[in-house]
Parts: sequence; structure tokens; C-alpha cells
Amino acid sequence: MSAARPDTLARAWLALIGLSGLSAVVAAAIGHGFDGRVAGGIVLLLALLKARIILSAYLGLSAAPAWRRGFNAVLGAYMLVALGLYLLPAL
Amino acid sequence: MTAPSPPSLLDELPGDLMIWVLIISELLVFGAGLAAFLSVRLTDPSGFAEAQSHLHRTGAALNTIVLITSGYLAALALRFRMAGRRGAARLALAGAAVLGAVFLVIKGAEYADKAAQGITYDTHPFFMFYYLLTGFHVAHVIAGIVVILLVMWRDSVDNIEMGAAFWHMVDLIWVLLFPIVYLLA
Repeated sequence: MSAARPDTLARAWLALIGLSGLSAVVAAAIGHGFDGRVAGGIVLLLALLKARIILSAYLGLSAAPAWRRGFNAVLGAYMLVALGLYLLPAL
Repeated sequence: MTAPSPPSLLDELPGDLMIWVLIISELLVFGAGLAAFLSVRLTDPSGFAEAQSHLHRTGAALNTIVLITSGYLAALALRFRMAGRRGAARLALAGAAVLGAVFLVIKGAEYADKAAQGITYDTHPFFMFYYLLTGFHVAHVIAGIVVILLVMWRDSVDNIEMGAAFWHMVDLIWVLLFPIVYLLA
């Protein structure tokens, strides 16, 4: 696991904080008339982005592009399944 | 003379292979648990939404910030140790462990609030999954704090790398668990 440069880590941390804040805002908007299905999709997308940042910057997969692509693909597919299960009752 | 064999894809993985086996295993376990949660929700979506309204989203969102920051400190610790700054690395690890403890305090308050409301694992299937998934994650946080304290003591680069990776795994699981259990109404 190669240690990322501190500024890279700080950027990753800031991005994670920002994405988490955005998730909270989107989730809160559901109670104020925002479509829950759209909000759910956005929340899961933001979670996927956060997972990608942790894998890439914190766990060092930025130095292993093939593995990073593999993890991203599997996580992306998983989030699509989760979104499908979430939306199913609304169909 | 035989030609040297091409590097294995496994060699590209940063850090020890076994920590990646653990990370993938844990992702599979929690992934299955969260998929089961969403599948059972199909049988009673309104009941799940009502049960979820009893959760403290603010506390859980705060815990997300706490864990993300703790992970940042663990990553910094590895960076410091690789630069030979052992004191700074230990300090960063101590910060990560303290934030881990903060996570547990907030989670404890959340559990206490549920208990005060008379909510247990058998109140509704939602809460069975809630306690199972968040409780299992809490067990990993406790284990992670112990690991971080151990690598503060035995602070070789390899040990800190392994300990930080375990902590990032705990972080990674939480960023997937939190939105599905707490936010998807």
C-alpha cells in the first residue's frame, strides 16, 4: 500500500466530507417534497463515489489501476442492484 | 536460461495480500447483509420507512464525518512513518483511535435511545437488520481500535500499513451501510 502524498489525502478527505454533506442534504430534501426515488439514486451514487475515493486514495488502489477498475466495476454493479431493490416497491 | 516470469496481477495490489482477502471477504458479508435488508424491505416498504423514522440520521451523519476523518489520520500516519517521522505517525494513529472511540460513544447513545423507546431487535424486521448490521460494524470498529493501538506500539511501516488498511475497510463498510440503512426511506 503506497502512502499517498498528504495533499492528495487532504483532497480525498475534503471530497469525502463534501459528498457526505451532499448526501445529508439530499436525504433531508425527501421530507420537503423531493422525489424519494431520485433522491435514493443520488444517495447511492454519492455512496459509490465515496467508496471509490476510499479505495483509491486511502487504500492505495490509485497505484493499481487494474484492481481499481475491478473494484469500481463490482461496486457499481452492486449499487445498481441496490437501487433496483430500492425502487422495486415504487414500480 | 529461462526468461523471468511476468509480474503477477497480485503483485500490483498495495500492501499485504491477506488484508485484501479480508477486505473483499468483509465487503461480501456486508454486501449480502445489505442486499438481504433491501430484499426483505420489499415485503413491507411502508413498515420499513416508519421504523427507519426512529433512527437518528444526524448522529449517524456525524459518525460518518468522524470515521472519514479518522481514516484520514490513519492514512497520514502511514505517510509520516514512511518518512521516518515515528512520533507524528503515532500521534496520527492516536487521533484515529480517539475518533474511533467517539464513533462508539455516538453509536452507544443511539442504541440507548432505542432502548429507551422500547425498540429491540424483534420490534420490526427493520430493527433486526439494523442491530445486526450496525452491531457487526461496531464490532469491527472495536477490533480496529485495538489494531490501531497495537500498531502504535509495534510501529513498523508494514504494521502501520496493515492497521491503516483494516481501519479503511471499517470506513469503507460504513459509507456503504449508512445510506442504505439510514437514508433510503
